[in-house]
Amino acid sequence: MDLYLIANIFTLVCALIGFIWGGILFLHPRKALYAQMITLALGCIAFGRLFNVIRLLTGGSITERFQLGFFGMVGSLMFFISSNYGAIDSLIDDGTKKFKKYRAISIIAPCVAIILYLVLFIAAGEPKLWKILGGILTAFIVFSSYFHLKHIVFPDVEFGIVKFLRPFNAVALLYDIAILVECSAMGRENNKVMIVSTFITGVFTALLMPMVVRGVRKWYQ
Amino acid sequence: MVSMIYILYICMFVPLLLSIPLVGRSSRNVTIFMLLGISSALFISEVNGLLLTFFKDDIVFVTTTITPITEEIIKALPVLVYAFLFSDNREKLMTISFSMGIGFALFENTYILIQNIDYISFGWALCRGFATALMHGLCTAAVGYGMSFVRKKRKMFYCGTFSLLMMSITYHGIYNMLVQNTTYKYLGFVLPLVTYVPLVIGVVRGRMKLDKTVTEAKAVSTAKAVSTDKDKK
Repeated sequence: MDLYLIANIFTLVCALIGFIWGGILFLHPRKALYAQMITLALGCIAFGRLFNVIRLLTGGSITERFQLGFFGMVGSLMFFISSNYGAIDSLIDDGTKKFKKYRAISIIAPCVAIILYLVLFIAAGEPKLWKILGGILTAFIVFSSYFHLKHIVFPDVEFGIVKFLRPFNAVALLYDIAILVECSAMGRENNKVMIVSTFITGVFTALLMPMVVRGVRKWYQ
Repeated sequence: MVSMIYILYICMFVPLLLSIPLVGRSSRNVTIFMLLGISSALFISEVNGLLLTFFKDDIVFVTTTITPITEEIIKALPVLVYAFLFSDNREKLMTISFSMGIGFALFENTYILIQNIDYISFGWALCRGFATALMHGLCTAAVGYGMSFVRKKRKMFYCGTFSLLMMSITYHGIYNMLVQNTTYKYLGFVLPLVTYVPLVIGVVRGRMKLDKTVTEAKAVSTAKAVSTDKDKK
């Protein structure tokens, strides 16, 4: 069996376990909205990977043309943005000058994402389709990574919510980078990088839900 | 055959439309969204025809990658408008979105039936009923279910809505890809049922829990009222 297919199956299994686990724990009324969003993000990853797996199993290619598996990546990033920006950010950041320094530091992550895009997609001369797909992915990573880094460095003096989610945000930040690398490898059809980056994405995906469960549990202690 | 789709549309649309003023309020939304589902299926059949021509009749690519996008967006739009303007009540949203999906599937099934009347069998009917129709209903219901979460905070509305749409688009694409493959088509037929059963169990359990809570609350309030009466006496 193709190693890239195995890597996709591995990531699918990791995401599916996280999705089912999160579904049992959080997809009920009056449960933490943040965790519900992360659960749905894992669902998105699982569906995207399932699409890739089936495409590969049915003899198709996921690198020649645009495929719906890409939506799994974008959807997960959107849920990350929803959870961090929509559910938590306003609780810790009141927008005053006091926290200006932390907001400035957080811009480093989007800058790294943009630099990675320029290096991996533009300078490397990727095909046009993958430049566009990489651009779309980078646009969402810019927002997602900003909030991940912000919630890692922010002091969180009042509520003590974000500090418990720091490990999750660190893993999610690494996941963002891993999928960007994987996307660029897909564009160049670089099989080795595709396999390695997909396995790494799988490992980060597997870590997401345990980190959220641990963080949310600490909220109520 | 081109005009047949419009004849079929009129046959299904008019009786349902006429029933709207007569049915009860709770059923009205269901009927309206079934009508919208039927209308969107008619609209999408035209769009898909154009897309097929644009992609040089590459049916596999169009049905596994392009039509899931167009169909899910068209089906989700009325639900999004309803959630945005009228109500973000989860039960209402799930009801109308499922009706929308089922209306869409009803029209699609009927149209495919009259197009392939010589090759239709009971097996076909069962597959269309338990798999395709259910898949359409589930995909739209997922958007409706998620909308009840994401509208709690306006900041989450936009991202949450689009990400749920992407989820249902991918699911639709997976289903289409499976059923077109000779080896894995049976997995495709089972996929919507595998998704539907846990969903139904979850919904029924949720309702039972809610009923229990309401009954307990009523019992407590009755007991309190009785004890207050006794105290007064």
